[in-house]
Amino acid sequence: MAEPGLSVAGAPEMRRVVITGLGAVSPVGIGADVFAAAVRAGTVGTKPITSFDASAFPRRNAGEVLDFEPADHLKRLDPGSWGRSGLLAAAAARLAVADAGIDEGQLELARAGAIMGTTSGESAVIQELAEQWVADGLHTIDGRLAGQTPASRIANAVSTELRLSGETQTIPTACSASNYALGYAYDLVRSGEAEVMLAGGADAVNRLTHAGFYALGAMAEDVPRPFAADRTGIVTGEGGAVLVLETYEHAVGRGARIYAEVLGYAANCDASHMVHPDNTSIAACIRAAHEAAGVRPEQIDYICAHGTGTPTNDATEVAAAREVFGERIPPISSIKSMLGHTMGAASGFGAIACCKALEQDFLPPTANITEPDPELGEGVDPVAGVGRAARLDIVQNHGFAFGGNNVITILGRVS
Amino acid sequence: MTATTTGPAPAGPATTVVEPLYITAAGVVSSAGIGLGPLADGLLGLTESQEGPVGEDAEAYPPRPVRAVRGLDVKEHLGRKGTKYLDRLTSFGLISTKEVLRDTEVDGARTGVVMATNTGSVSTHSTLLYDTLTLDKPYLVNPGRFPNTVMNSAAGQIAIRNGLRGLNATVAGGQTASLLAFRHARLALGLRRADRLVVGGAEELSAPAAWGWHRTGVLRDGAALGEGAAVFTVQRERPAEGPLAELLACETRFTPDPRGYTDGLADAVTRALLRSGVSPDEVDVVSLGAVHQRGLERLEERGVRAALGGGLPRTVRIADVLGETFSASGAMQLAALLALWQAEPAAPPVTALVTSVGWDGQAAAMVVRSPR
Repeated sequence: MAEPGLSVAGAPEMRRVVITGLGAVSPVGIGADVFAAAVRAGTVGTKPITSFDASAFPRRNAGEVLDFEPADHLKRLDPGSWGRSGLLAAAAARLAVADAGIDEGQLELARAGAIMGTTSGESAVIQELAEQWVADGLHTIDGRLAGQTPASRIANAVSTELRLSGETQTIPTACSASNYALGYAYDLVRSGEAEVMLAGGADAVNRLTHAGFYALGAMAEDVPRPFAADRTGIVTGEGGAVLVLETYEHAVGRGARIYAEVLGYAANCDASHMVHPDNTSIAACIRAAHEAAGVRPEQIDYICAHGTGTPTNDATEVAAAREVFGERIPPISSIKSMLGHTMGAASGFGAIACCKALEQDFLPPTANITEPDPELGEGVDPVAGVGRAARLDIVQNHGFAFGGNNVITILGRVS
Repeated sequence: MTATTTGPAPAGPATTVVEPLYITAAGVVSSAGIGLGPLADGLLGLTESQEGPVGEDAEAYPPRPVRAVRGLDVKEHLGRKGTKYLDRLTSFGLISTKEVLRDTEVDGARTGVVMATNTGSVSTHSTLLYDTLTLDKPYLVNPGRFPNTVMNSAAGQIAIRNGLRGLNATVAGGQTASLLAFRHARLALGLRRADRLVVGGAEELSAPAAWGWHRTGVLRDGAALGEGAAVFTVQRERPAEGPLAELLACETRFTPDPRGYTDGLADAVTRALLRSGVSPDEVDVVSLGAVHQRGLERLEERGVRAALGGGLPRTVRIADVLGETFSASGAMQLAALLALWQAEPAAPPVTALVTSVGWDGQAAAMVVRSPR
């Protein structure tokens, strides 16, 4: 029987798909180069929450994008008419398109569209509506704001800002959403539905997500320490992460710099529990991703982990990797140690980190580790502290979510 | 059209005809009742819809007609186990899915889920959000309900209840979400990412959601709000016993400029017909989505007319019966066609168009054909 997910045997001839543009609006900086430098240095971007009154919460830190001014980045969207998540996505898309060196005319000819992942959609807008409800009753809520609540407005913001007429979908598969968006956009490009696609995700720090993770007992006491012996959980975060995907021919034809080739991906579902991840199912997803990408485990040079920093999730992720890789697990690090858990943007940031790692020859680190957890077993290299010089050829990027949604993308150097 | 789109059309899938997919089962929970039969009765005017909200917050609704799903005993359909924290939306999705998988042997590894949504369960996240704003200890929100606040909760629960371990997607697209889900499913099945997908959409009503609609002001006065779910099994293989319908092309288009919304829909319809190998004069019936929405309703009709050469064939207006079911409406529009085909079997195959337009410039069109 086939692995859950995906064999593409029997599928028609496919085109090669490469990544040529990166846009990051993150808690450790705005712009892909700023982001990469901060990540490589192990910069921690989690700080006391400013976007809502967190004084009544026992935990008060989050990875917010404190220096985000939508008007600095956006040419068309009126920041008053769109929610924070959409604005983060659109700003990241602007940056990604500029980084790719592609203009609007080229995007239109290439039938470009936008596939954006999210966990909580326009959560900051919904929070504001709830505040109005609590203050003066449901009948007083602002209709203009209510019109900004659909999660679809995240991808719509990107396509409106960049005047895209191609496929525009928001994929709210929670914390694996950006990887799913990347995979779906890859499928659109490789099958010929589009020449160029934008893919990524966005989320905003908000009260409900903060409260919910605390209620689940999954919130870190101070900072996230994935894979560390003393890890205690996640810190919520936010941001917009967008990548430009195009066919290899299209990229070469316009003389674009190529960060990486999308070699393949796999998506499956644990189908066992809403919250607790399943190592067997994740291992199946890794194997299916390798099969789809046509690579063997020993070719993987680095794993950009989901790495939430909760005791259970990290142990499950390492156990799954061990099932596939045996004793030789590639270096496995979590950039959530620096960004916080940016939810629907998380695996988008992971993909950007992977692209920059391939371009600039380094392993992204896991910050905040003093002692790796010995219970994870032998041979786990979380790249503790700061980034490390290394030449990488093939990397894998993890995204797992509530609902049991696992998505793994495999990216490779184009020589 | 702008100057940049008048160049030569790019070669490739935009002009190639797609392989048909097959719809093998349909599960519906709507204000008309459970299944296609009651929906057909409603559409044919044989039954009247009951008006008014249901549930604990029924008193708190705005003054607007409501077509709620009534008298649904979730435990009767799903058993007692694991229903404590189920929200309405997920319950609708689970009951619909149970219907479509009833007579099917499922290969869990090769079967997946693609569900349309707007924002997931509004009742769940608004209740918890209310708690975080009113409790002295705002972090004491119900941890049993928090996982249901994510928008992929229904798709995850459908997978868990039915052992579906294949790809599992949730698609948000506002009004057009269900058609985007079919579009998503088309690509995934075409690329062999699954053999069979449970595809559909679900929406639930609550006082906060109803007030959101009401205050937004996009619905015509007197237009009803609706809820429910419609899901379908979609596969590449033609079933031996014959399909419920053939699913031909599903195309989407985004139009950033409001002045181009009509042309955007017309373009989506034209491409969907082209890629279905269907000419505009072969369309027998159009199942419309934007019924009752100010502005969108007229532009949807105009866009369809433009693509079909000026005329409008027979129309099915699902919202007249079910109210506005938003992200589930595309799935309900398809369910309505299947319901009518079952109730009044047509001799020659009927070719139908399902259309949807949304705010911001989303447009989508899908072509389906009744069993031959």
